[in-house]
Amino acid sequence: MKFEYLLGGGTPTLKKYKMAAGHAAGIVVLVAAAGATGLSTSTTTSWADAVGLTMDPIVNVGQPVSYSVVQNQPEYLQTVVVNPDAVIKALLVGSAANAALETRTVGTASANGLTVVGTTGDTDPSSPDMDEGTVWYSSGANGGASRKITSTTTTLTVTVIMPFAANRVGDKYHTIDYTVGTPDVTLSTDLQNVRGDIAATGAEARVIDLQLNGATNSYLELLISDHLFGTNT
Amino acid sequence: MPMATKTDPTVLVKRQFTKKEITAAQEAPGKPHGRTAGSWVYDLCALKKVITLCPLCTHKFNPGKFHYRKEKEFPVVQAKCDGCDTFDVRCSAYFFEETYHQVRSTAADRRAERTAHMRKMKKEQGI
Repeated sequence: MKFEYLLGGGTPTLKKYKMAAGHAAGIVVLVAAAGATGLSTSTTTSWADAVGLTMDPIVNVGQPVSYSVVQNQPEYLQTVVVNPDAVIKALLVGSAANAALETRTVGTASANGLTVVGTTGDTDPSSPDMDEGTVWYSSGANGGASRKITSTTTTLTVTVIMPFAANRVGDKYHTIDYTVGTPDVTLSTDLQNVRGDIAATGAEARVIDLQLNGATNSYLELLISDHLFGTNT
Repeated sequence: MPMATKTDPTVLVKRQFTKKEITAAQEAPGKPHGRTAGSWVYDLCALKKVITLCPLCTHKFNPGKFHYRKEKEFPVVQAKCDGCDTFDVRCSAYFFEETYHQVRSTAADRRAERTAHMRKMKKEQGI
């Protein structure tokens, strides 16, 4: 994940913290767990008591390391952006292992633009349920246009209220269960990206905007909703 | 016969640290005692750390020499200066070039990504 900007403007605050383990750059770290030697790693489903986003890796001569147990060795440090209103940009991926987001194909044309119907073989948009999420086209007459999903059915159909232009069989589109304000995200195993293939649940965050492009370059802009120095639940 | 002096029993109460106090205790102390600023910053550069320097120290650092780049979208950050160990609200931040795009998204990046995507869609549509 990437630090993008501050919601309220102003300047970011960077602090160097002692770390409990070799965290990667660009992941959320949490308040030190009991018995840990420094800030703790977030998980794929929890950002509880988050401190911020790491801005550099832990490396030792180019290699990631864990903390040293050798007597009198220096502690490992990482820089963290600690502003509670820091906006985090997270890539949308299609699996825990960071596969590309599913590209769906229109199988039945919709003249009135109120439904988008997929092709047999596409994942059923009602399971995992994409209802109240977002559908957007990446090709065809609607290329670049997006709408909020208001219902889904097991017949590969998502419904919208504000109609798209008429689509054609073969147009490519994507669906996710996120729209502006959606709470909670599930992260990929490496904690770097957000899974768009499953329903919104998990780590404490709010979507404040979406950058919708293609299967490999669409992003969520997130605010941490359980931050140690901000809203702390 | 002298009277025995009565002393109050000592009551030990374990202090309950807050999460903020625990986190504050995890903050790195900065430059070790006895190290020169240049040697400490050089070590941080070798570990690809973000370098933050106050207005008095920043001119002593040559980012290009260490494959670093100055953060330009945020010309100032609030941080503890790695040179003089002083918290300053007008520090400059320097990122290791290799990791910069892993952790930062700038307006230029977003513009380039959007332009590339629109160009790809136009090509597919034959416009």
